[in-house]
Amino acid sequence: MHDINVVDLSRLQFALTALYHFLFVPLTLGLSFLLAAMETVYVTTGKPIYREITQFWSKLFLINFALGVATGLTMEFEFGTNWSFYSSFVGDIFGAPLAIEGLMAFFLEATFIGLMVFGWKRLKRGQHLAVTYMVAFGSNLSALWILIANSFMQTPTGASFNPVTMRMELSSLTELIFNHDAQAKFVHTSIAGYVTGAIFVAGVSAWYLLKRRHVELARRSFRMAVLFGVLATAGVITLGDALGFIGGQAQPTKLAAMEGLWKSEPAPMPFNLVAFPSQKDQVNRGQLQVPYALSLLVTHSMDGTVPGVDRLELDAIARIRNGIPAVAALQSLSAAPGDAAALATFHAHEKDLGYGFLVQRYAADVTQATDAQIATAARETIPQVAPIFWSFRVMVLMGLLMLAYFVLAVIYSMRNNIEHQRWFLKIAVWMIPVPFLACEMGWLVAELGRQPWTVYGMLPTWMSASTHGVGYMIFSLVGFVGLYTAFIIAEMYLMVRAIRIGPDASHAGEGAGPITDTSQAARLAGYAQEA
Amino acid sequence: MKTFLQFILFMVIAVVVILMAIVLGELGAWYFAWLVGTGMIVLITAAGGALLDAQDEHAAHEAGIGSVDA
Repeated sequence: MHDINVVDLSRLQFALTALYHFLFVPLTLGLSFLLAAMETVYVTTGKPIYREITQFWSKLFLINFALGVATGLTMEFEFGTNWSFYSSFVGDIFGAPLAIEGLMAFFLEATFIGLMVFGWKRLKRGQHLAVTYMVAFGSNLSALWILIANSFMQTPTGASFNPVTMRMELSSLTELIFNHDAQAKFVHTSIAGYVTGAIFVAGVSAWYLLKRRHVELARRSFRMAVLFGVLATAGVITLGDALGFIGGQAQPTKLAAMEGLWKSEPAPMPFNLVAFPSQKDQVNRGQLQVPYALSLLVTHSMDGTVPGVDRLELDAIARIRNGIPAVAALQSLSAAPGDAAALATFHAHEKDLGYGFLVQRYAADVTQATDAQIATAARETIPQVAPIFWSFRVMVLMGLLMLAYFVLAVIYSMRNNIEHQRWFLKIAVWMIPVPFLACEMGWLVAELGRQPWTVYGMLPTWMSASTHGVGYMIFSLVGFVGLYTAFIIAEMYLMVRAIRIGPDASHAGEGAGPITDTSQAARLAGYAQEA
Repeated sequence: MKTFLQFILFMVIAVVVILMAIVLGELGAWYFAWLVGTGMIVLITAAGGALLDAQDEHAAHEAGIGSVDA
């Protein structure tokens, strides 16, 4: 039997390392394609300033990329060290996308990053542009494969459990890759990265404009970032809805938690705009509702309904009772693999095998599980509602805030007078943390909402962890937190330093000599008059 | 006031576009949409940069400063 403290510590360790890692990832995903857009203008127009722009943002991209890789590598090892039963149980499926990510996407990305950095004087313009696009595709393909693996955990498809080997086995790579959850999640995550990159570039450019430094670089970067951002934000919201729709069908417990839906209600269902869910009493306190909105949002119709926690718990009780014979049959097959009767029983109940595992936490002999133990196991199929409910709302609120910000930014930028909107430039700088926070909230919704499963409906989290001691887990947890905090500090220091230094003066044509750009001269003259 | 009205107009357009995309498909071919969409976003972004140069050149010409070659 697993020590539940070790399971919780393993969860906390993975959550913290993933949250740290996910601070770096979105910026890499977004900035890579922004670099490609900037260099596209350089290649098509031949104007050196776009080369300087691309080189400057490449420098920040590289700092972020290096630390993102450093934090990401350890996570792959954590599956083996802290989640050994999980790795053994689903390794045949989970290992394939992880290996493809490492061998194809990551190598592609790493190789072309070298060419992107050192190839400016060695490659022709078109060749270098192709290299930059390959870096962007490589970065995003890395995300694709890890999200395919994650989507298997959320909505397992393309695999089946083999009672002889006692492992999950891949039955269809196509189903695994084209899992609806994987498709929507990849695009949602990738484009959320675009938004992050856009807000970062716009924010840093706004800071330069406020300081009246590197004005030509900043104006162009701001213009491109906000156009990139406004389109990406519309995509993120669209795909967020698609992901919610797909996830709601596949993981009704997550949807109930996201919406704070304790009691099933007839259509059209109201949407809880604000509420303070109580897990213990299974009620919402201080709720503010919007009539009819939930049916529209989650079923896209006025007469659609989704089950509440009350009905989901009853369903779980029935599934646990159906899964108990499957677990018992598995135990018989473990002792006697040729037991035909046990195999037949297993196949009759295998769809609820995971639910049978749930009650094993409370009754070592599942066939002797009491009604109270089954009810307790069923109650635990509902994830912690309050953190999911609020993480979801914070993420959505930030998404809408970013849409409004980008729309206004595009208006000012297209009028070509953004540098005179100093109040807005200040807001742009303060917007930089918003997408990072939204991404973290999104990750929390996805992963907290999956509990109590590592593989939804198949493998409970409590069974998945390794059998380490509490001391070992605390030691490694403290080590990871210390190391990753140092990484964050290093990233912040290097980023701020690079931003303060700005583009290389020998390239930028600013600050190193007389101003040759006439439009810039006119602009600076305007500033002088304003001052 | 003009900025506010433009902001409202563009926000309405954005919301309508998002709603249309939502209505058109929850189970869309999202990988394909990502490929096409990313290409479109990158090209529009690049066009935005080139447009800024054109606006600057036009403004410089109007002001009689001369051509811009950044």
